[in-house]
Amino acid sequence: MSIRDIFWLSYKDLKEKRLRTALTIMMVVIGVASIVALMSQTAGIGASIQTSLESLGPTSIVLTSTRGAGFTAADLSKLSSIPNTSAVIPILTGRGNILSGGQNVSVTIIGISSQDLQQVLGSVNFYQGGMYQDTITPSAVLGYDVAFPSSASGKQVASVGQPATLMITGQNGAALTLPIVGILQSYGASTMPTDTGVILSMPAAQLLLHRSSYNIIMVKASNTSTVNGAAQFITDIYGSSVSVTTTQQLLQTAASVIGSISLLFLIIAGISLIVAAIGIMNVMLISVFERTHEIGILKSIGFKDSHILTIFLSQALLIGVMGGILGILAGAGISYGLTALAHLAASHQTTPTAQSGAVGVRAGGAGAGAQSQSSGLSNLSYEPVFDAGTIAIALIVAVVVSLIAGVYPAWRASKLQPIDALREL
Amino acid sequence: MEDYSLRVSNVSKVYHSGEVEVRALDNVSFTFKKGDFAAIVGPSGSGKSTLMNILGTIDKPSSGEVYIDGLPTSEITGDRLAEFRNKKLGFVFQAFNLINGLDAEKNVELPLMVNPMDEKRRKAKADRLLTKLGLGARLQLKPTQLSGGEQQRVAIARALINDPVIVLADEPTGNLDTKSGDEVVSLLRKISREDKVTVVMVTHNLETTKHCDKIIYIRDGKLEKEVVK
Repeated sequence: MSIRDIFWLSYKDLKEKRLRTALTIMMVVIGVASIVALMSQTAGIGASIQTSLESLGPTSIVLTSTRGAGFTAADLSKLSSIPNTSAVIPILTGRGNILSGGQNVSVTIIGISSQDLQQVLGSVNFYQGGMYQDTITPSAVLGYDVAFPSSASGKQVASVGQPATLMITGQNGAALTLPIVGILQSYGASTMPTDTGVILSMPAAQLLLHRSSYNIIMVKASNTSTVNGAAQFITDIYGSSVSVTTTQQLLQTAASVIGSISLLFLIIAGISLIVAAIGIMNVMLISVFERTHEIGILKSIGFKDSHILTIFLSQALLIGVMGGILGILAGAGISYGLTALAHLAASHQTTPTAQSGAVGVRAGGAGAGAQSQSSGLSNLSYEPVFDAGTIAIALIVAVVVSLIAGVYPAWRASKLQPIDALREL
Repeated sequence: MEDYSLRVSNVSKVYHSGEVEVRALDNVSFTFKKGDFAAIVGPSGSGKSTLMNILGTIDKPSSGEVYIDGLPTSEITGDRLAEFRNKKLGFVFQAFNLINGLDAEKNVELPLMVNPMDEKRRKAKADRLLTKLGLGARLQLKPTQLSGGEQQRVAIARALINDPVIVLADEPTGNLDTKSGDEVVSLLRKISREDKVTVVMVTHNLETTKHCDKIIYIRDGKLEKEVVK
């Protein structure tokens, strides 16, 4: 019997029972769409976090003081003398609010030298204006979301040349009016909360925040092979008074968190596929029951057990393939929909996420650092990632699950005795 | 080579219902030759349908043997039995037993699907046969779009498509009006004459047997009498 005839006989039955077939396929679609949507979402978020962390550079080591005192010039000098390091970047952060164009926007105040900002961001891209002077006179570069806050529906509320009033949290309403010299382009996911930051020169930030120290230092190792050695060196110097995190540690932690989330999602998708399998088996058993007489006819005219088995199995295969393909398409659609929703939700948040640990590293180590990165999803710009492997696996799983579900009904059909089957009317 | 296309030798069929033994067929023997137009006649419950199932190899006798084209059918099992049915036998049922989802042409093609035959040749053969049986204009119609007589002619075409040795027709006129029934009986008789196929018709209607060459009368599972014309 030709494969064409087998599939034709299977297809005509599925076509005859259109509604039932559609509902059965829908079960597979839900399972496969869950896999594709959830996996592409976690892969997209993971890739975005990874890109974000990688923008720190694979050679970055981030130091956060776990004591209140922070770092001093002596620490910078000490760290500069560590072998196999190429740069030591001090960063000072604080929190505040900025009043501009009638909008009150929560911001992260970031003090960093213009040269160091270049090193951290890779390249400094301005929407408007330019860089501040590294002097004590306060002038600010605003992150994109500060100038175009979502609370103003993305309308520009601050412009270069205009003054803005900055209120610093924890200083009894102390406020300062400072000129805006530049507005950065949107950086999306970034090592610093750049888009929600008011960035100043280090002396100006120290003046405003009343601090002579820094709360974060970024050390650049000379190359990737010396990162761990340098990080260990720093840990040996500071002990537990400083949290030392490398980009690689953050990446590992992020990968581990994403892996756990992916596993959870896979289990959920797996459960929906098991439900689909039970549904398929149920529908196919009903089909065998309904077609008993037809099976009897086929056997009386010379169809073998193996022919009947193959016809029913190919029906399960068709359900699996159709469900798999439609599930992949539906999953992709759902995934893009979820991403759009996430972006919409982010744009409607009135208070941007501002972490005091500006570069995504908080006291408590790498794990906490990774959490602070991932918790900043409102700032996280991501696109779903459709990996060919995941799509292939989703399709294979759909087909295999459908075939497994079809084995028992097909076997039952093939073992029907023609005399018993013909009696059924 | 045996002269008979069908030889039934001491066939019995016994069913057990708890302690009770029911003898549906009791030591039945007869023969049909190639090209015979034969009938098995008996009242309801006489065992003629059981006998028909045994002749069609879809049921097995408790004892005795059925030889078709000289071959002892009890020795054929599994896939070989399916092949045997496909090649040597054709079935015509009272309720036509066509597959409703398939058109007349595809219904007739079905027995050929299990053989390695080119689809074009298969289709041509089915079309030729249906045209010969007067259904040339009805090839693409589904069974539900055909009259009872037409459906039975499609079933006859399906039975003949593999050039069988025997066509077994179980009450072929049972669901038809008198005119259509007469047409079907005439057609079966014509087939036996022209194609040299043994046609065995099971019926309780003596009127349909008037053109038969041989009539086997069954009563209470036993061969009551055998009439040769």
